[in-house]
Amino acid sequence: MRHRIGGSILERLVRPSARADAPTPRSPRARFQSSEEPSVADEDFISVRDVHLAFGHRIVYAGLDCTLRKGDIHMLLGGSGSGKSTLLRMIGGIQRPDSGEVRVAGQLLTNLSEKELGEIRKGIGMLFQNGALLDSMSVLENVGLPLREHTKQSAAEIRARVASVLSSVGLEDVEPLLPRELSGGMLRRVAFARAIVMQPEILLCDEPFSGLDPLNVSRIESLLLRLNRELGLTIVVTSHHMASSLRMADQLILLRDGVCVAGTPEQLAGSGDEGVTEFLGDDGRAYLALLHETRDRGEA
Amino acid sequence: MIGVIRELGAKSISLVEGLGRVAGFGGAIVGTFPRAPFRFGFFMRSLYDAGVLSVALICLSGFTVGMVLGLQLYTTLTRFGAEEGLGAVVGLSLVRELGPVLTGLLVTGRAGSAITAEIGAMKATEQLDGLRMMAIDPVHFVAMPRALGLTFVMPLLNGLFIVLAIAGAYSVGVTIQGFDGGVYLSGLEDSVRFVDDVGQSLLKSLVFGMLLGLIATYKGHTCSPDAEGVARATTSTVVTSSVVILLSDYVITALWGV
Repeated sequence: MRHRIGGSILERLVRPSARADAPTPRSPRARFQSSEEPSVADEDFISVRDVHLAFGHRIVYAGLDCTLRKGDIHMLLGGSGSGKSTLLRMIGGIQRPDSGEVRVAGQLLTNLSEKELGEIRKGIGMLFQNGALLDSMSVLENVGLPLREHTKQSAAEIRARVASVLSSVGLEDVEPLLPRELSGGMLRRVAFARAIVMQPEILLCDEPFSGLDPLNVSRIESLLLRLNRELGLTIVVTSHHMASSLRMADQLILLRDGVCVAGTPEQLAGSGDEGVTEFLGDDGRAYLALLHETRDRGEA
Repeated sequence: MIGVIRELGAKSISLVEGLGRVAGFGGAIVGTFPRAPFRFGFFMRSLYDAGVLSVALICLSGFTVGMVLGLQLYTTLTRFGAEEGLGAVVGLSLVRELGPVLTGLLVTGRAGSAITAEIGAMKATEQLDGLRMMAIDPVHFVAMPRALGLTFVMPLLNGLFIVLAIAGAYSVGVTIQGFDGGVYLSGLEDSVRFVDDVGQSLLKSLVFGMLLGLIATYKGHTCSPDAEGVARATTSTVVTSSVVILLSDYVITALWGV
């Protein structure tokens, strides 16, 4: 079991030598559950029960059931329109199902008011598919916005923290720029920085690798892995990037026909399910075998 | 026949539901007033966007309307031998009716539509959802400063419009047509009363500003999150606000007492 022990995640990840007493936002752990007195089983940290949702005549979920274990990386896979992004939005409480339950750390989101959801969301970071940065604000203002709104940090502290987070995603000296002055890849990385600046307990990433060059795919992938392995963040990612998905995932969740098939990459690759086999494809299974081989060799 | 009645009933229910949603949204905006933090910078920016950027339009329109009024009224009043009433008629018609209504319509076309388009684009690009995911209320963050800004600038722009229109009428009636300037100004001064006329004008423009702020932000927040939806919401803001301004103008005039 991994526990957060306070202090800035990013300072420890990116700049281990940074001063340890730097002011940090309130730990989001308090918003979910105490590590000493867990009220929710880690296995059911996020649970989706019998969820139905339709947009007009299009049925997105027809009794979706899945559970997401705390501290794991969960990769949501599926074809376009299978409901991957919608599932992220439901976990974030910005999309309500027609029926069924969505629980985060035991809290039934479907029953909460917008104000109560706000408290839950302080512990959740979300990277939107197109970044969702505020057009009229600079990079500094965008990334520093949650800190300005929810902490008592001074402007100088916020500036230092934003610079630190931006450097973790490979960006330097972009603070004064407006979103329209950034390239697509830079924009996504700024959005990623904003998603993690508050040290969330849960990180929801909608297509974090799309539009990025291989170097930055690798950078974001390793940052996600470090956030997860060292600090125990529960990370839910939608992606079409099969290699990253197989490398990172503790659990793969394949959405199709309004329901899902979930398991470890090995379980899914070994399952006889025709749809899963088709989705992973020969390349996916071959890549998984290669990954296994490399891991075994490393352990040996 | 039954079908027509059923359709009428459905439309009536839909209208009442829509009004309820607008009222609820208005309540949500008002509910955010006492909530900290008050984002003074955003409020100033909305004053600039809705107010300063409308100044040129208001000045030009006001002066032109005044020129037309001066020309038309002088010609008409001369026909009846009542040209000495030019200042009074120009003043009263501008202060009581034309000033607030035309300013309201002009600001609707320039700033109201821009606010709807901006908020609609924010919705289409998930910026409003992004705010919600950061536990920031989009009504407090986006709608309130803009609605408040419109409410503040409308009386100021109304005043500017009236002053420029009076000057426009003076320039045509006195400078071009040769009417006596002293008679024009004294007629204006004698006829326009502060509480009855200027007060009514200020109240109207304040109400129009509030209504426009509410409609423009509501339409932006509730539009369909795509380009067509934003375009439709922008058009709807202009049409709805214009009709609401004209209707509320009548209501205020009737309640105030002519």
